[in-house]
Amino acid sequence: MSTVASTWLDSLLSGHELFPEHRAGCWVNGLRADALERAHALTLPTPRDEDWRFTDLSPLYRLAFRAPVAAGALDAASLAPFDVAEAPLRLTFVDGHFVPRLSRLAEAGGALVLPLAEALESHAELVRAHLGGCVANGGSAFAAINTAYLHDGLFLHAPRGVRVPPVHVLYVSTRADVAVSPRLLVIADAASELVLVEDYVAVHQDTYGVNVVAEVVAGPGARVRHMRLQHDSKNAFHIGTTGVRLDRDAQYGALAVAFGARISRLDLHLTQAGPGARCELDGLALLAGRQLADTHSFIDHAAADGSSRQEHRCIVDDGAHAVFNGRILVREGAQRTNSAQQSRNLLLSDKARVDAKPQLEIFADDVKCAHGATVGQLEAEEVFYLRSRGLSESAARAMLTYAFAAGLVNRIALPSVVARLRETLTARTGNTEIVR
Amino acid sequence: MSTVLQNLIDQPYQHGFVTDIESDTVPKGLSEEVIRQISLKKDEPDWLLEFRLAAYRHWLTLSEPAWPNVKYPPIDYQDIIYYSAPKPKNKLASMDEVDPELRRTFEKLGVPLHEQAALAGVAVDVIFDSVSVTTTYKQKLADVGIVFCSFSEAVREHPELVRRYLGTVVPAADNFYAALNSAVFTDGSFVYIPRGVKCPMELSTYFRINTQESGQFERTLIVAEEGAEVSYLEGCTAPRFDTNQLHAAVVELVALDNAYIKYSTVQNWYAGDANGVGGIYNFVTKRGLCQGVNSRISWTQVETGSAITWKYPSCVLLGENSVGEFYSVALTNHRQQADTGTKMIHVGRNTRSTIVSKGISAGESNNSYRGLVKIGPKAAGARNYSQCDSMLIGDRCGANTFPYIDVQNSTARVEHEATTSKIGEDQLFYFASRGIGNEEAVSMIINGFVKDVFTQLPMEFAVEAGRLLGLKLEGSVG
Repeated sequence: MSTVASTWLDSLLSGHELFPEHRAGCWVNGLRADALERAHALTLPTPRDEDWRFTDLSPLYRLAFRAPVAAGALDAASLAPFDVAEAPLRLTFVDGHFVPRLSRLAEAGGALVLPLAEALESHAELVRAHLGGCVANGGSAFAAINTAYLHDGLFLHAPRGVRVPPVHVLYVSTRADVAVSPRLLVIADAASELVLVEDYVAVHQDTYGVNVVAEVVAGPGARVRHMRLQHDSKNAFHIGTTGVRLDRDAQYGALAVAFGARISRLDLHLTQAGPGARCELDGLALLAGRQLADTHSFIDHAAADGSSRQEHRCIVDDGAHAVFNGRILVREGAQRTNSAQQSRNLLLSDKARVDAKPQLEIFADDVKCAHGATVGQLEAEEVFYLRSRGLSESAARAMLTYAFAAGLVNRIALPSVVARLRETLTARTGNTEIVR
Repeated sequence: MSTVLQNLIDQPYQHGFVTDIESDTVPKGLSEEVIRQISLKKDEPDWLLEFRLAAYRHWLTLSEPAWPNVKYPPIDYQDIIYYSAPKPKNKLASMDEVDPELRRTFEKLGVPLHEQAALAGVAVDVIFDSVSVTTTYKQKLADVGIVFCSFSEAVREHPELVRRYLGTVVPAADNFYAALNSAVFTDGSFVYIPRGVKCPMELSTYFRINTQESGQFERTLIVAEEGAEVSYLEGCTAPRFDTNQLHAAVVELVALDNAYIKYSTVQNWYAGDANGVGGIYNFVTKRGLCQGVNSRISWTQVETGSAITWKYPSCVLLGENSVGEFYSVALTNHRQQADTGTKMIHVGRNTRSTIVSKGISAGESNNSYRGLVKIGPKAAGARNYSQCDSMLIGDRCGANTFPYIDVQNSTARVEHEATTSKIGEDQLFYFASRGIGNEEAVSMIINGFVKDVFTQLPMEFAVEAGRLLGLKLEGSVG
């Protein structure tokens, strides 16, 4: 590791002392101490690592972050634009701190929806059984740093057969130079159903850091919908790790959106541990300026009769850079797996750049796997068609660019989230022709 | 999997025999001294010795690449004989003077060296281990100004050409194996097609690795001047041995304005036995440079042999409107491992490339496609189409694809498609209902699967390659 990176890691981890020992009992403190040790032992990634070839974090390593000691002042009105009206439950974290005043905690139909800090005490056994279980080998250096700072986050437990109303977890940044480490733990027992909106926003455009780990454990026949909206400030750094484990016949549907951040990275690791599991993963990155968004997904078909569908779309303007690495592993014995992956990339400027690497590794013979990747600009014929209908060149381009992304957004079942995403798309693509 | 299919897979290597010919070898191991000795034996000019030594010194600073998706025991580079040539006898005036034992070897392989060569219309530059023994049809080619000779001969007869182009496409420092090859290469082929000449016949070389434990490090250089065209065939068979043999060749192609080079390979080296013992390690660097406008380089390969194949025939598309093509069939069986593919580096405007890769895995083998399509910031209007399909035969083999796509120009269009499939019971049933047995059905399905690539092969090779696939898979499908 370069000395810059190691010094940075040391200074970042030194903020650790600011966090009080947890009251919950020694196991949380032990977990944090282990992770701290691991974080010190692990090396931070550089472009020399195959998994980070295109994502150079050196701008991040040059920054000094403060640990988030207190939540910034924020009134309820400034959160109005981010509200998800369909979600009766909302947990709001400001600069990493849970703010009950800005949250909505209601009866969750038999499910547990509460801040993780609380759950560490009240449901220690359940948390202990699952925490860290979906992050392979404790995860990367960033996952270890997250665990070292393990403090608060979301705890969601849907007992057998329970249908949980939509849950909205909102992370708001109000301060510059702060690094937060959110943690989400979602446990969906057999035949339960839940919808989660994981939301990152800022009320300023300064630099800050987010290093999140989210874990989803879905039992037999459970159904989980997971919307991940990353709309951080355009100077932020966002590192995300999502681990998902699907048991027999479980279903997981996700949309991960990357609109913000100077550099954002999402490592999505999904394991189909039981037969007949299904997942649908959508990804959308809309980038401009000097933004870089990197998605590394890994779908591990470890059991038979599973299916996976993945569609990742990137729109890249100015000098922005999109990276997609989609790895699909079909293990020996994962017969009758059906997997399809699409990576579609739209380049809007000459300086924009896309690196796509779909990756198939197959060790079973009775499988159907296909992947495709395209990189290009808007079809001249499509632009011509719209122009023949009287649209200006720029309006035609804006409409087609909007449509390229809107297809994914329209799959979301929550109208308020769809409306919010469409609004951003409209503003960013310059499309004014859409009647909403 | 049926027993028919299993039997089909389990065909032993048919070309496994060792010819006993006295060899003139240098001691095992690698040092500056060995390189000087090789250079001396080959009576080379100083600049070439310097080239070798510089490559060797750079090689010492490199470490063996670990990223390929293959596993093998560490190679002891000091346990390899770096030079082995059949004992020099009297200069050969005609084919009749060629060592009868050597000729019998070629007859067993079915190389049309003598009258067969004439009938087939093929000029064969025979490499027996590392030194070129005989070159036919030289006169006919010389009449139109084409140089087709062994590499050592080219160094003697056309040093200015060799010196101008050697190492320009694959620099000595390019990678671990290219540096090793640059240091110790013994022989290979050299082709020079002058301006405006279309080569009147397919040029062909048969490589054989013969002396036990002699790694073969060939060097091939093909230069096509403005408007020239050539089709080059490379075919490989090797006798069976239990010690792993290292093969690290370097092939460089240079195409100037409007030139066209077609390079076809059928590779069937010893792959080790059913338990993965023995077999050739094939670590090859092949690269073509489309230097001129409208130039075109086309790679076609049928990879069926070797214990490990690590090979990425590439095209650097520098000239405007230049075209790169890659057609590949890679078949792995038993415990073979292949990590192969291509790199298309688009530098110039309106450059185009096509990649068609078909992987077939059977037994406990592992077959990976690894490719890079890179569109540089100045490659406006560049176009790429890639298709890589895999077929799995049996449930203990692996098929992987690692396509890298790196686009830095918005006017470029890149498309990549990949599918994985197996021979379905329903397909076999359909054939059976038409009175076609399993074995024949499988052979037909596989022939259909690889057709896009085989149609690119020159006629002589297409026949041989079709037979080879049939042999390799005999007994493995059901």
